[in-house]
Amino acid sequence: MNKIIDAWIEIQKGKGVTVEVERQYGSWDEYWGKLQTQLAAGTPPDIGIADYGRVVSYARDGVILNIEEQVNLSGFSMDKMMPAALAQYRWKEGDFDSGNPEGDLYGLPADAQPQVMVYNKKMFDEAGVAYPTDDWTWDDMLEAAKKLTKADQSQYGFFLSPGLMWRGIWVNSAGGSFHTPDYKKSTINSAETKEAFQWLWDAIWVHKVSPLPPAPNSQAPNPFLSRQVAMTIDGVWWLTDFANGLEPGEWDTCMFPKHPKTGKRTTTVEADGFWIFKNAKEKDLAFDLLTFFCSEDGQKRFDAEGYLIPGNHADVANAWYAKTPPDNKKKILENINQDSVKVDITYYQAATVMSVVDPIWMAAFYDGGDLGVALEASEAAMNAELDKAWASFTG
Amino acid sequence: MLKRLNFPGDMRIREEFNAWLFVLPTALGLLIFQLFPVLFSLYVSFTNWNLITPPKWLGFQNYRDLFTIDPFFVSTLRNTVLYAVGTVSFSLFFAILVALLLNQQLKGKEFFRAVFFLPVVLPTASAALAWTWMYDTNAGIINSFLKLLGLAPIPWLVNTNYALWALIIEAIWASLGFNTIIFLAGLQNISKDYYEAASIDGANAWQKFVNITLPLLSPTTFFVLVTSIINAVQIFDLPFIMTGGGPANATQTIVMYIYSNAFRLQRMGLASAVGYMVFIIILGLTYLNFKFEKKWVFYEEAV
Repeated sequence: MNKIIDAWIEIQKGKGVTVEVERQYGSWDEYWGKLQTQLAAGTPPDIGIADYGRVVSYARDGVILNIEEQVNLSGFSMDKMMPAALAQYRWKEGDFDSGNPEGDLYGLPADAQPQVMVYNKKMFDEAGVAYPTDDWTWDDMLEAAKKLTKADQSQYGFFLSPGLMWRGIWVNSAGGSFHTPDYKKSTINSAETKEAFQWLWDAIWVHKVSPLPPAPNSQAPNPFLSRQVAMTIDGVWWLTDFANGLEPGEWDTCMFPKHPKTGKRTTTVEADGFWIFKNAKEKDLAFDLLTFFCSEDGQKRFDAEGYLIPGNHADVANAWYAKTPPDNKKKILENINQDSVKVDITYYQAATVMSVVDPIWMAAFYDGGDLGVALEASEAAMNAELDKAWASFTG
Repeated sequence: MLKRLNFPGDMRIREEFNAWLFVLPTALGLLIFQLFPVLFSLYVSFTNWNLITPPKWLGFQNYRDLFTIDPFFVSTLRNTVLYAVGTVSFSLFFAILVALLLNQQLKGKEFFRAVFFLPVVLPTASAALAWTWMYDTNAGIINSFLKLLGLAPIPWLVNTNYALWALIIEAIWASLGFNTIIFLAGLQNISKDYYEAASIDGANAWQKFVNITLPLLSPTTFFVLVTSIINAVQIFDLPFIMTGGGPANATQTIVMYIYSNAFRLQRMGLASAVGYMVFIIILGLTYLNFKFEKKWVFYEEAV
């Protein structure tokens, strides 16, 4: 990040502008705690890393700057930006969620993070199982997982962290959802959504091809990295760790398996980015830096520095996905282009809703309890939380 | 040189003024960094405040919500009570037992005292991380030991029925040394004359324990009980590091709930309300302890 900022400072010098940039860093958790305190004190930075989950609340509360007009006047090109990433920074006043194409921009995405599926080729070879194909379905995946699971539980077929359910891959592919389109009612107990949850629950407790979810603060390494599972689905940010921790040629990526009935294999895209705070004294300079970060030039510089999340700019992303390992990294981009949606955790107070609902259905995953009962209770809790969120939004 | 004072209290007023001057720095510190935040958080507990927009007055709604529509306050309170009962009761029991053993004339008792005290000097975070590893379902040393004995591994931190007990066990281990030392000091304060007199009267070991040791140890027991209850109700670091309050909120304690509401969800009003509920609970428990103190705590002067 420092090198990118220094490069921008040099560019400004070339224009005859001398700029000094005070930089403040912190871990993800520290960052948001510190930012909240700075906002309360009225001393936030001019520009900061943006979180797609906070766009609605920050825009609504007047914390971040509406940059729509500035973007239009500057002629900054967004033609090659991934639509699902850009959508997360558009908000129309009065909307409960971001993503309205008529909404104004409150930041710009700097990346586009999908979920990816990876598999251990060595385990597949040892078990005599054919590698995943583009035509694989959930049923094929389950059958392969059964053959890849060892009786002594030293190796499982696959692992999908229940915590990732909110990213919606499994639910969306089954044709389900977490709430109605107007965000007023929960659909977590609908037939399609329940099917997705049940499939994953059965993998742990019926077919026993997936290990128990990890302990909440587990220090144990990722089960795919520690060679405990033959397949996993996780965020694209894991690819560098897999490349560093596994042998070359030991693993690869593939497209998600299709739902046997809907034929969908929806991945979700979430995009971190940058935004400008309303209190910024040097708004024009902040805008210039923001657009530099998110421009093709800035994205290429991030890529050259080994910034592991592919940029949202199509040319930069294409180049990133073309680099190996793994050999079939392009399959991830193919999956995104074929079937992807904005991640569904961007609506107003989504984090609060999830914090209430998650423990209810996750207990069934941890303990093997009745998932149907858990989802009914989750639906009731989610409806109550959505009511509270709406009351706060409109109040 | 003599100076007539204007009235008899003049000297006293000047002395008081000087005394206040000396106390002022500490008093200001207490006022700004303790009293003001306490009173401000009381105000915040009656509002809806996310640190960004101005607080919105709600009256008693936050407090009402805790006992009506809040999905986790009651379960979190239950977790905290279970944790406190489990930790305090077993801590007291084992600490008295170990203190009794260490009070015997045994070879190497200094070594054993040091061994039992070791957990006290370990940083909480390091110990908690070590126990997290020990509890790992697949790779943990505890389950490896259970497998050696032919027993099934226990899903310590991944099952809602076991996770709280996993924390209680760690807490007992961590506090055993400190409580043992306190009880040891209490035991050594009991005059040997009582035991000699009891021996002459034909009392056996159990009778001596019940009629001499326990009553005369009761002031120490009372101290350990009160401090242990307060520590147990305020527990935060252990569940924060070991389980983050999971799995599925099974180990979420009341102080963790305050943290989560305040710093993760920016619900400062609700977090403050929970904080004041904790204060009232601890105050109530401490009051009950002191109220019933006379019924079971015997001070030597009174014997």
